[in-house]
Formats: sequence, structure tokens, C-alpha cells
Amino acid sequence: MKILIADDDKISRRLLEKTLEREGYEVIAVDNGRLALEQLSLPDGPRLALLDWMMPELNGPSVCLEVRKLHERPYVHIVLLTSRGSKQDVVAGLESGADDYLTKPWDPGELTARLLVGQRILQLEDRLVEARETMRFKATHDPLTSLFNRGVILDLLARELSRTRRENGCTVVMLGDLDHFKDVNDGYGHVVGDEVLREIAQRLLGSVRSYDFVGRYGGEEFLIVLNNCDPEHAVLRAEEVRNGIAHYPVQTARGPIHVTMSLGVLASRGWDLDFVEEILGVTDSALYRAKADGRNCVKLATPTVLSDVPHN
Amino acid sequence: MTERDDRSSQVAVNLPELLIRVDNDRDLLRELIEIFKEEFPRLLQQLQRHIVRGDMKSVENTCHGLKGMLSGLSAMRAAAVAARLEQMGRDGNSSGLKDAVALLEREVERVLPELDASITKAEC
Repeated sequence: MKILIADDDKISRRLLEKTLEREGYEVIAVDNGRLALEQLSLPDGPRLALLDWMMPELNGPSVCLEVRKLHERPYVHIVLLTSRGSKQDVVAGLESGADDYLTKPWDPGELTARLLVGQRILQLEDRLVEARETMRFKATHDPLTSLFNRGVILDLLARELSRTRRENGCTVVMLGDLDHFKDVNDGYGHVVGDEVLREIAQRLLGSVRSYDFVGRYGGEEFLIVLNNCDPEHAVLRAEEVRNGIAHYPVQTARGPIHVTMSLGVLASRGWDLDFVEEILGVTDSALYRAKADGRNCVKLATPTVLSDVPHN
Repeated sequence: MTERDDRSSQVAVNLPELLIRVDNDRDLLRELIEIFKEEFPRLLQQLQRHIVRGDMKSVENTCHGLKGMLSGLSAMRAAAVAARLEQMGRDGNSSGLKDAVALLEREVERVLPELDASITKAEC
């Protein structure tokens, strides 16, 4: 584990360095507070730090205060080293954001024991962050395909539409539906049907840019949102998605299964639609035309077709 | 017994404590002593310049460094003198400062031979 030592006293620094290397730490040693803050601000910087109280440029408590402002960084466990032993100093050090303190000259056994406490706290924090991230993923993703779930993909669509409207850009929306998917479920069983859905999800992700969004909209329906996409390229991009599925069969436990997808596409520029529901309604009509036209094809929603959209 | 006799009867370096701190590592001990021999004269000169200029804040900071260095080498008596100097700097109290520096120099003169002798006592 990486550990930072910040101490302007060469003897303390060398002693700490050697003691901690013996304990298996990967030691980074600096001689002032500014360099300490630089190291602790790095994305993969040390998460354990031993800071001397009095240092040139920035003292230990000031480094603590600055580190605690770095909300994007994983938590850093900071131990202040001080020859100041008064209660007032200890309180000031802890209030600045230090987790612990050691009085100089330190006892090597106590030093390593306190650092082990720090490691335990960091491990606990890692487990909490991991659990939070797992919960966040579960709340935002479809459990079968790991794509964004319906609620999230609709929120993302609304956000992108609003952004492109503001910036006078264009969002391309694709609604894709697997053709005759009921036959797969009925003919091969739902376990194989699930295999197909998982593979299709991967192919969809592989067909778009890393900053585009793909979500599971319904059973075998998928919603794709292409951010800042040239409207002239909308159909081409949708054809790439369609080809990525139709081009080669999905390998399943029951052998290869050939599946295809019909897609309705809409490029938001040129439409005077304010609501996600309206956009989806028009895109769904284009998808309906693709189905009616024999499936395994792409249909672009154009403003002239708007009159064809059924109104309730 | 005079104060001088009393002082000379006590060791300048707490060797058992120092050996624990370096984990009986003779090479490390030698390295630390070398650092001390280089750093102490430099810090002492710095301190004397601060005293001449009457810069008591810098007196405090330099003596804080000296105290840390000396206590790191378990030279507790010399570290205590450095701590007294640090306090004088913090209080802005310049009376008796030169006497305290002279005492620090005398204490360090006793520290150095004991540190050199300690190398032979380290086991590995």
C-alpha cells in the first residue's frame, strides 16, 4: 500500500521511510506541505499519509484542510506527527481533518499499529463504496442485459434533448425491436431467449460510441440515444446497428439462432416536439412502418410523416 | 555536586531507545548520524543568523527542527535545550538566548561521540 510521508526533518523522514518500507509500504517521501498536497491530489495518490505538523510552505493541518476539499478523491487517512502535545493542539489538528495523531519521538510499534487502524478504516470505506456502487448499478440497470433500465434511459433522453435544443444540436433516437422474438422464446425456451437478449445488448453497445446511451425499453425493445449526432448520419448509424445484429447468428446453448431487428429512427433537429413522449410516439410510428415493411429494416421519422402519427 | 558534574554523569543519547527505533540497523544508524553531522552545523548557523537579526519567529522554527532531529536520535537532553530555545522564540524572549545556544552546542558535543559509539553496538 502507498503511504505518504511529509516531514522537513531529514532524520525523521529517513527513519519513517525505512520503518515503513520494512512493514511493506510503498513510501513516497516529501519535505514540504505543498508537495504533500500535490501527491494527495493525484487520482492514484496515496491513501495513507503521515504529515508533520510544522512544515515549510503549508503546515500539516493546512494540508488536511485542503485534502478534505477533494471530494472526487477516495478518502485519505491522515495521521499528524507532532511534537506539540497539548490538548488544544490535538483538537486543532483533528478539527482540520486529521484522523489521528502521533507525538514525536514516536514509538515504532505504536506507529505501525496506528497505521494498521488506518488501513482497516480504508478497507471499510472501500467496502461501503463498493456496496453503494452495486446498489446504484442495480437501481439504474436492467438486471438481465445490464443496459440502462427504462426509467434511466428515458431520463437520459430527456436530458440530451434538452441539451441539444439549448445548443442547437441534434440527438438521434432509435427504437429497435427484435423481429419475431416470441418465436425464439416459444421455440427454444425463455432461458435461451434471455441468452439472445444478453448478446443483443452487447452488440448494441458495440455498435455505438462510448458516450451514447443504450437502454432496455421493454421486453425485446431497445432505446438508443446518440448524442450530438449529425442528422444526415442517422439512418446510416441505424443501419450499422441493424447489420450488427442481422449479420451473424447468436450462439446459444441450443445452437446458433438468427435474429433481426427493425428500427424506427428520429433526428431531433427539425422537430418542434417538446416532450419525450411525443418524440417516442413519432419514433415508434417509424418502427411500426419498419415492421409493416417486412421487418429487418430502418425507417426514418420525417416531419411529413407526423400527420400519420395516431393521436389519442 | 555541581550542575556540570550532574550533567556529565548522565548519558546524552538514550541508546536502547535509539536502537529500537532503527531496528538495530547499523547502516541506517550510520546514515542518520551522517545526516545529523551535515544538518546540525547548517541549522546552528541559521539559528545564529536569526538571533543576530532578532527574527524570533525564525528562531522558533529552526529550533523546532533541531528539537525534532535531536529527539529522533534519542538525544533527549539536547532536544530539551532545543525545545527551550523554541519556546523562547515563540515567546519573543531574547534574553538568555545566547547562553541557551551555547548550552545546546555543549550538549551536542556530548551527543556526537555517543552516537559514533552506538554504531558498534548495533547488532546488524
